[in-house]
Amino acid sequence: MGKTATAKVDLTKVKPYGDTLNDGMVQLSFTLPVPYGDEASEAAVILAKKMGLDEPSVVYSKDLGIGYTNFIVYGKCQHTVDYTSIKVPKIEVDVMDRLECEKFIEENIKRDVVIVGACTGTDAHTVGIDAIINMKGFDGHFGLERYKGIEAINMGSQVSNETLVAKAIEVNADAILVSQIVTQKDIHIKNLTELVELLEAEGIRDKVILVCGGPRISHELAQELGYDAGFGPRSYAENVASYVLTELVKRKLV
Amino acid sequence: MGFLNQLAEKYKTISIVGMAKNAGKTTTLNYLIEEAMDEGMVLGITSTGRDGENTDLVTGSEKPKVYLEYGTIVSVPEQLYELSDAGLEILRITSYPTAIGRIMLCRVKESGYVQIAGPTNTKDHKKMCEEMLELGAQLILIDGAIDRKSIAAPDTSDAVILATGAVLSRNLNKVVEETLHTANLYQLPEVPVGDLRKRIVEGASEEKIMLIEGEKVKFLELATGLLSGKYLDDAITKETEWVYIPGAFTQSVIADIHPAKLRQLIFVVKDPTKVFIGAKSWKQLKKRGFRLYVLEGIKIAGISVNPYSPSGYSFEHKDLIKAIKEGLEDILVFDVKFGVDYATV
Repeated sequence: MGKTATAKVDLTKVKPYGDTLNDGMVQLSFTLPVPYGDEASEAAVILAKKMGLDEPSVVYSKDLGIGYTNFIVYGKCQHTVDYTSIKVPKIEVDVMDRLECEKFIEENIKRDVVIVGACTGTDAHTVGIDAIINMKGFDGHFGLERYKGIEAINMGSQVSNETLVAKAIEVNADAILVSQIVTQKDIHIKNLTELVELLEAEGIRDKVILVCGGPRISHELAQELGYDAGFGPRSYAENVASYVLTELVKRKLV
Repeated sequence: MGFLNQLAEKYKTISIVGMAKNAGKTTTLNYLIEEAMDEGMVLGITSTGRDGENTDLVTGSEKPKVYLEYGTIVSVPEQLYELSDAGLEILRITSYPTAIGRIMLCRVKESGYVQIAGPTNTKDHKKMCEEMLELGAQLILIDGAIDRKSIAAPDTSDAVILATGAVLSRNLNKVVEETLHTANLYQLPEVPVGDLRKRIVEGASEEKIMLIEGEKVKFLELATGLLSGKYLDDAITKETEWVYIPGAFTQSVIADIHPAKLRQLIFVVKDPTKVFIGAKSWKQLKKRGFRLYVLEGIKIAGISVNPYSPSGYSFEHKDLIKAIKEGLEDILVFDVKFGVDYATV
């Protein structure tokens, strides 16, 4: 009947765990534009101290050539987090697996659901939209193309918002999925709000379920952007499908 | 009479739309809320995005919180209710969906900070504002989100306050150019009252592109004007005088229209929120004889300027106000940090 580690955890003051509880150990990896050597390592240590790490030490450094050095630094974090006070808005839906989704469509929607997806703007990274839509899916989770009762259209990369809206109108889409991977200079924000404005102007914003996704997208951000839902990392086709199907029924858009 | 009372005499619903993120929308909202407290007015407060959270979800920078006085009517979604520091009495649980739960209409019973959000689409927003007026709000302020402007449509709000500022560009002239462009779009000429207007309004309910040639009216069988400039060009004849576009008015709608035809036409859209043409392209089009009318314009109740950019640079606040004021003579331009009294009214 040994005590478990969790028994001692004070959730109001959570610190990183390395070897023992509350030792605060963290590992950082970064590159500095300075030539490899002792001075470089010292620079990395000073920087880590400025970041608020106690007892930083460079455990690994590598010459990247042309005057750049990469580091791995260990150090002790001095800060704590009150885990009990955190509230993250989440998508409130019971996730159904593919077969359950198919059954749901058959019983509640009784027609094919049309979903149009694209990676918009200058963004050419289709990894996100492909993982959700393409038949083979991602990480053992089949994509929407595999779902009976869902007509999924993947428009691919660098699709302009206008093209996406025109397509959605043409096929009378029930839902629009937008993927944004590139977020330099917050270009994804402008891209995403422009789409909302176009849909409003075309008078179909209230007729579609509008969903965005990407590594820097959270469900919380979706509300600010004017989307119905936002899917971040660790989302699969069944998460998106469950949400879209449930909302279609809830909003009487079937 | 105070600024807010003056506004409330003319308008019931005012939306605060931003030229960009961090242009000072919420700061403007807070200023108006303070004014309302002084003038003893019951406000209805809502947002097209989210308001009142501590940190910006995109940049991680600090955001102004929203403090609401006793009596204020406010829209709060289920998932943000608990985060409120004010005492809220739930008046109605509505069915307007948001990403973070259904909207609840509340009355502030104990003053304090509140996290606010509103419906995700403008049609729901309009309905919700009507409910807020029923519940006793004398004036509704809708805080915009990021650079979303569709809430400015005259269908949804009676007037707008346009928030602009240094965040748009390091170049003051560019800030002024962009701001004036939006303000000028909002004040596009309206199709004058008369027979022609009557015909356009009647035809508009078809939600189709409409061509008017003398007495003749022609509807195009297109689901949208987007990317269909070529079809539009084919349909336009020498006799076509007016073209009504029901949806978004973008470059792609008119890109393929022959220059000679472009010159003879007057385009009409429902309201300025349908127009998606930037300041530079607009100027180029104007040179080619392009003309655009609206059925209904947007009333600008004021322009608030923020001379500070979160990335560290700023303009002399009087310079910015003066430059914008020069381009827009009859509109109130003010810097919220200094209040309306400091504006060159």
